[in-house]
Amino acid sequence: MNPFSMIPELLTAMPLTLAIMFVAIIVGFCFALAAATFRVRRLPVVSQLADLYVSYARSVPVALQLFVAFYGLPVLVGLFGVKDFLSPTLAAMVALSLYHGGYLSEVIRPAYLAVDRGQHDAADSLGYTFRQKIRRIVGPQAVHIALPGYGNAIIYLIHNVALVMYIGAADVMATAHLIMERDYNQYQFETYLVLAVIYSLMCLIAWLIVRAFETRASKPVARTSPVKVPLMANV
Amino acid sequence: MHIFDIDILLPDLWAILGAVPRTLVMALTIFIFSTIIGSLFALIEQRRMPVLREFVLSYKVAFKGMPMVVVVFLAYYGLPIAFQFLADLVGLKVNAHRMPNEVTLILALIACVATFQAEVVKGALNSFDTGQADAAYSLGYKNSQLLRRVLLPQVVVAAIPDLANSFMVIMKALSLGFAIEVVDIFAQSQLTAALNYYYLQAFLIAVVIYMVLAYLVTRLADRTERALRVW
Repeated sequence: MNPFSMIPELLTAMPLTLAIMFVAIIVGFCFALAAATFRVRRLPVVSQLADLYVSYARSVPVALQLFVAFYGLPVLVGLFGVKDFLSPTLAAMVALSLYHGGYLSEVIRPAYLAVDRGQHDAADSLGYTFRQKIRRIVGPQAVHIALPGYGNAIIYLIHNVALVMYIGAADVMATAHLIMERDYNQYQFETYLVLAVIYSLMCLIAWLIVRAFETRASKPVARTSPVKVPLMANV
Repeated sequence: MHIFDIDILLPDLWAILGAVPRTLVMALTIFIFSTIIGSLFALIEQRRMPVLREFVLSYKVAFKGMPMVVVVFLAYYGLPIAFQFLADLVGLKVNAHRMPNEVTLILALIACVATFQAEVVKGALNSFDTGQADAAYSLGYKNSQLLRRVLLPQVVVAAIPDLANSFMVIMKALSLGFAIEVVDIFAQSQLTAALNYYYLQAFLIAVVIYMVLAYLVTRLADRTERALRVW
């Protein structure tokens, strides 16, 4: 069999994979900002909760996080007396947003702290509020520092979207399984090779986009070099 | 609410805890071998060995682009065939298709994690100040002495936080094994849940176990680092 013939069928599931990915990117970013802010500002109870959330997102396997969301959300929704409306896709979006947010907050917080101490002090002594300080002084520099780590976070998110088939979301991997079963499981190795190429291409595109931003962001603030983040997988 | 019934939680906890030693042993095996291979990769890149360097680069690109699940499945379907072919080539009479799935998973994860360990080792080597090497040479140290007395003590300590991180990553990556019937903490929680249908409870227990393990690994790494750091 020609392994290329299955590509169009695999790509029909691509919108779902991309939808889960983009939801996780956007919602996860909000979570990450919130968690990083709470932890940086050391608000009494909230920052401990943020600590707990980040360590949950970082130390529990994503597969397990998916299952926790899949079985936990209906219970959570039931507590508020709402009828269970959750689908595997929605559970996957929630779980991956939480995961991505936790991972990303550990990119954002070190970047914030890596901005030169004097810049923080200068902003504080000029009477900037926290929000003004972030928007005008620390933020632009931290973005430049955090971008390489952000690129990694996106790549790991793409990798982890491949796990949503375990809770029954019909993404590219799940479609691949359908194709394999239809062919009486003869071409499993070839199918996974095709999947490897598809995911590698997605990562390549994401990497190119982030790198384009990196070269753009490095122009105005070339003084602080980006934080060297160990490119460590997150499953 | 009967979600957190102690009569269910306690037996589940014992059942899932039973998988912890197995998971740790597998993780340690992967950790050791991937660190060795990763160090070789880092050495090849640092010395700029001609052909090997290109190989390492393309290996890294390939294994960083693929999700680990895909690598695990590729190994599951590809390795037995490859091993059988090799065994036939040398004339060994073995059935490679009866290779335990644990071995497949461990080999697949070693292949994946080696790229990241190479990055960790490279970072640690870069943190080494070359002036110290010059000083050691001027004091008449041989290469082996430099390595043993000056380089290694500093590089190992510098790498400890990243190594602890990669150990945690390996432990989490073992959860991918449940698709090919390898029982680690996560797979055990699934099996336990399937017996009594209390899915959420079993998964939450597994969450707690993973978080406690992560905490312990970080604490251990911190202590070792503080004990070994002399400067």
